[in-house]
Amino acid sequence: MALLLRTVARQGLYSSRSQFGVLYRHAVPMGTTAKEEMNKFWAKNTRLNRPMSPHLTIYRWSIPMMMSITHRGTGVGLSAGISAFAIAALVLPGDYPQYLDMIHSWSFGPALITATKFALAFPVAYHTYNGIRHLIWDVGKGFKIPEVYRSGYVVIALSVLTSVALAAI
Amino acid sequence: MASLTRIGVVCRIGAKPLLLSNTLLPRGLVAYQKSRDVEPFRLAVPQIQAAQSHTATSGSKAASMHWTSERVLSVLLLGMAPAAYLYPGPVLDYTVAAALTLHGHWGIGQVLTDYVHGKTKIRLAKAGLFTLSMVTFAGLCYFNYNDVGVCKAIAMLWRV
Repeated sequence: MALLLRTVARQGLYSSRSQFGVLYRHAVPMGTTAKEEMNKFWAKNTRLNRPMSPHLTIYRWSIPMMMSITHRGTGVGLSAGISAFAIAALVLPGDYPQYLDMIHSWSFGPALITATKFALAFPVAYHTYNGIRHLIWDVGKGFKIPEVYRSGYVVIALSVLTSVALAAI
Repeated sequence: MASLTRIGVVCRIGAKPLLLSNTLLPRGLVAYQKSRDVEPFRLAVPQIQAAQSHTATSGSKAASMHWTSERVLSVLLLGMAPAAYLYPGPVLDYTVAAALTLHGHWGIGQVLTDYVHGKTKIRLAKAGLFTLSMVTFAGLCYFNYNDVGVCKAIAMLWRV
C-alpha cells in the first residue's frame, strides 16, 4: 500500500513538474523586469537602425519640460560643484579661510558679489523646491496638467524670491 | 474534483519526504507544492507565475527599496538645511557630507542609467561614479576634519 501511495505520489509530482515546465515557458514574458524590457527596446532600436528618441527638435518646448531638464541640470551641476569643492579640499594647499581672504582682497564690487551669490543660491533653491514638487508627485498628487503648470509656476516664483533674498544677505 | 483533491492529499503525504531529500528543488516548485496543499490546481496557476518571476520579483523589490530610500534621503536633506543653519557643528557637517554625497551619487546614477547604454559602458560609468562619490565623500570629510567644516564654510562664504 505504501509503495502504491509512493508511486502515485511520485507520479503526481513528476506530472506537476512537467506541467510546471510548460507553464514556465509561458510565464517567462510575464516575469521580465523593467530593465529587461528597456534592454529589449534598445536592442530593437539598434537592430532596426531607428533614429534616437526623443527627437528634441520636433517638440514645442513647454514649461514642465524645461523645468524637468532644469531639475536634472541643476542636480548634475550642484553635484559637480560639490565634487569639485571636495577634490579642491584634498589637493589644494592652504585652508578655506585663506582662500576667502584672497577673494576678499580682490575687492569685487558688491554687484558682482550679489550676482555670484544669486548664481549659487538659485540652483540650490530651484532643485530644492522642484524636489518638493517631485516628492508631491511621488505620493500621487498633482498630476493633472493644470496642476503641473501651477506647481511649476509656484516653484519658479519661490526659487527666484528665495535666491534674491539669499543674494541680498 | 474529488479525485483531484485526493491526488492533492496523496501528493502532500508523498511530497514531503521528497522535498526534504531534494534540497535542490527550485523554490518555485516548493511554492507550487505548498499551494497545492491548500487547493489542488485552480490556485496553482497564478501561483506558478508569481513564483516563476521570483528573480524578477526580488529585483523589482530591490528597485522599489532603492526608490523609497532615495525619497527618504531627499526628505532628510530638506530637514538638514534648517538644521545646519540653526545648529552648525561637526555632527551636521558629517551628516550633510554623507547625505549630499549619497543623494548626488544616486541622482547621477539615474542620469547614467538614462543616457549610457551597453554593458561595458554602463559598468565603466558606474565604476567611475563610485570612485568620484568616494573621493567626494573623502574630500568633504577631510574638509570637516582639517578645515572649518561644510556648515561654517557656507556661512563664511556668504559673509565675503
